[in-house]
Amino acid sequence: MSLFSVLSIGASGMAAQRTRAELLVENLANSETTRTPEGGPYRRKDAVFTSTSVASPFASVFDQEVREAGVAVSDIITDTREPERRYLPGHPDADADGYVAFPRISPAEDMVDLMGASRNYQANVAAISAVKDMIGRSLDLLR
Amino acid sequence: MLDRLAGQLERYMDLLSARQKLVASNIANADTPGYRTRDIDFQTEFQNAAGLAPHIVEVDGLPVKNDGNSVDLDREARLLAENALRFQLASSLLRSQIRVVRSAIQEGRSA
Repeated sequence: MSLFSVLSIGASGMAAQRTRAELLVENLANSETTRTPEGGPYRRKDAVFTSTSVASPFASVFDQEVREAGVAVSDIITDTREPERRYLPGHPDADADGYVAFPRISPAEDMVDLMGASRNYQANVAAISAVKDMIGRSLDLLR
Repeated sequence: MLDRLAGQLERYMDLLSARQKLVASNIANADTPGYRTRDIDFQTEFQNAAGLAPHIVEVDGLPVKNDGNSVDLDREARLLAENALRFQLASSLLRSQIRVVRSAIQEGRSA
């Protein structure tokens, strides 16, 4: 029941939310991208989270019933919706009818998710600092 | 040498750590689909003097979001602060117990 493993849980939450924020920013940056290595326009990406047990150095020795559940990104899903078609006959990527396929990205959707990721990151930081305070108090007993 | 109260305080602090761990798990999984809020029944665990590892339960009665996740960040924030304060209190009490013993060892010369 070491308090130190709680720090790993908080860190796993921070890492997962950071990955999610990276994907969301990538979506916003590529909202007008019509060319990708896979061909076609850019497609929106999002992270799927799953709870995992965090690796703690002493986990195998002091295996307690309280299984600490961290979080990890289990999958990165790509949007399968049809791209948005805009009529731009002069565009080099325009098809025979003069339509260009643009990524179907709504900035509002990504910004709201980005706010959620940022708030969750803050919540994990708060958890870590609360636990750090508890560890500090325990160490004070030795003085 | 330390009396029974110190043992109780130690158990109390152990339980608070276990609970804080679950709160941190809940916060980390606030966006995990299908994750249910987990907690321990503090009163029952504390009265169970055997000192066994606490039994984890899923918390009922919390609103479940569309993705099956039932983490309420406000609840977790409250518990986070509450556990930290309780731990602070318990460690201060334990510290004063230790101080008494130390004073006895040092024949009351210094606190």
